[in-house]
Amino acid sequence: MKDFMMLFISSDYAKAGLSPEEMQTRMGKWFAWNDKMRAQGIVKHGEALHSTGRRVSGESRTVTDGPFAESKELIGGYYVITVSDYEEAVQVAQDYPDYDLGGTVEIREIMVFDQ
Amino acid sequence: MKDLNIDHLFRHQYGKMVSILTRIFGFEHLETIEDAIQDTFIRALKTWRNSIPDNPEAWLMAAAKNRTIDLFRKLKSDNQRNIQFDFGSSTIAISELFLEHEIEDSQLKMIFTACHPSLDPKDQIAFALKTISGFSQKEIASALLTKEESIKKRLQRARKKIIEEKIEFKIPIGEDLTRRLDRVMETIYLIFNEGFQSIKKDLVIRKDLCGEALRLCQMVLNKKATRTSKMYALFALLCFHSARLESKVGLNNEIISLKNQDRGKWYFPLISLGNNAMNKAMEDMLNLSSYHYEAAIAFEHLKSPSFESTDWKTILRWYKSLDLIQRSPYTKINMAIVHLQLNQLKEAKLILDIIDESKLGQRIYLYHGTLAEYYFLKGEIVKSIFQIDKAIQLVNNNAEKKYLTKSKELYSASLN
Repeated sequence: MKDFMMLFISSDYAKAGLSPEEMQTRMGKWFAWNDKMRAQGIVKHGEALHSTGRRVSGESRTVTDGPFAESKELIGGYYVITVSDYEEAVQVAQDYPDYDLGGTVEIREIMVFDQ
Repeated sequence: MKDLNIDHLFRHQYGKMVSILTRIFGFEHLETIEDAIQDTFIRALKTWRNSIPDNPEAWLMAAAKNRTIDLFRKLKSDNQRNIQFDFGSSTIAISELFLEHEIEDSQLKMIFTACHPSLDPKDQIAFALKTISGFSQKEIASALLTKEESIKKRLQRARKKIIEEKIEFKIPIGEDLTRRLDRVMETIYLIFNEGFQSIKKDLVIRKDLCGEALRLCQMVLNKKATRTSKMYALFALLCFHSARLESKVGLNNEIISLKNQDRGKWYFPLISLGNNAMNKAMEDMLNLSSYHYEAAIAFEHLKSPSFESTDWKTILRWYKSLDLIQRSPYTKINMAIVHLQLNQLKEAKLILDIIDESKLGQRIYLYHGTLAEYYFLKGEIVKSIFQIDKAIQLVNNNAEKKYLTKSKELYSASLN
């Protein structure tokens, strides 16, 4: 078994102009997905992220303030799951609820250093 | 988890929050308020992913309350010196506004403001669906089969009017209340009919609209001061109609006429809810309204185990009473149809002859459809086909058109 991080990349929800009803439906989908993964015992960790933040970059450590809400490629959250391979991780990612909003799931295997 | 399955929790919560915050900040800040509430929902959508709060409704309300305080600060710092509220002393009053009965009160105030006579009825419906029912612009557009752009304009117009006319956020009293209540009932009925009559819409949307009309009606009935026998009658009417909603639409979205509806599909709990309301509506026998008669007619249909056993005589009596107070050409057409059911052809024709066709608007096809049925029953098939052709030509609703075309086939078959 290996650990994989699923990164959720999309534009900010605020941009999508979802109605209250649509948000409730979407939330239901997130729950269902979360429940399913937990029932399978594959979730290690997962959180949602604010769309505000800071960026520190360059040699001069320039600090840029968020919000990054304008970005279409905002990391909105992540899950760390334990599955056997990429194929299985891709299978898990099928249920990510935000594809219809242009969202992407990036799956990256967490590196383990062999002795 | 269970809690989140509450139908339309977010939508209704949205309506509550808008009302409370509008009561606090006033209509001039409506857009800011709506944005703030939208933020609250987005926050919930993200943070509830892994675990749902024990009481989502309370969570949302608390979040909205905090947003209120944020808003206070924001509006103050935005150099808006004309804002009259004072943060320090209002804090206590503000938390009181979040108590259940105060929330209901705020929503009622919103309903009565939305139904102010100076607003255009079309703008009113859009505004009510947005601020009370929590529909988005897009959802209103698809519910009313209109472009989103025009809904946006209607909402802007309504907001502008409310601010310009300085319409107060309150429930009127005395005669003003009686007049305003009529407008409230009209608006509720219009919203209901958007759901009940339009066959072009998806059944989910139709149920939503009918459900919202029922909910608005119930809110008004919840408060003693706004509870009237007429409102009970309207509520009964909406329940009776709603009970038949599902049996009215076939698998291919075609209209199923009353005659061919599966009466086993009629939804009993709504019928009984309507019945209770009707009993209350009849406590004031001296003030029977058109809603009373319409409800009585709807109930008469529901009571009958089959189409054949319909008590047309009683129905005709109700229509006659309705005709006396309403004077609508549609009532007249319906009366003619009932006469045809009773095989009273002469009486039917007399009524059809006095109808002013030009007042029928889009529904003129009903007139020609009824005339067609009249000639058919009379055995004048050629005239009957001439009329049904007119009806088919004038109808612009596909499902109705199919229905009329079927009738034509029936008439034509008897010609051979």
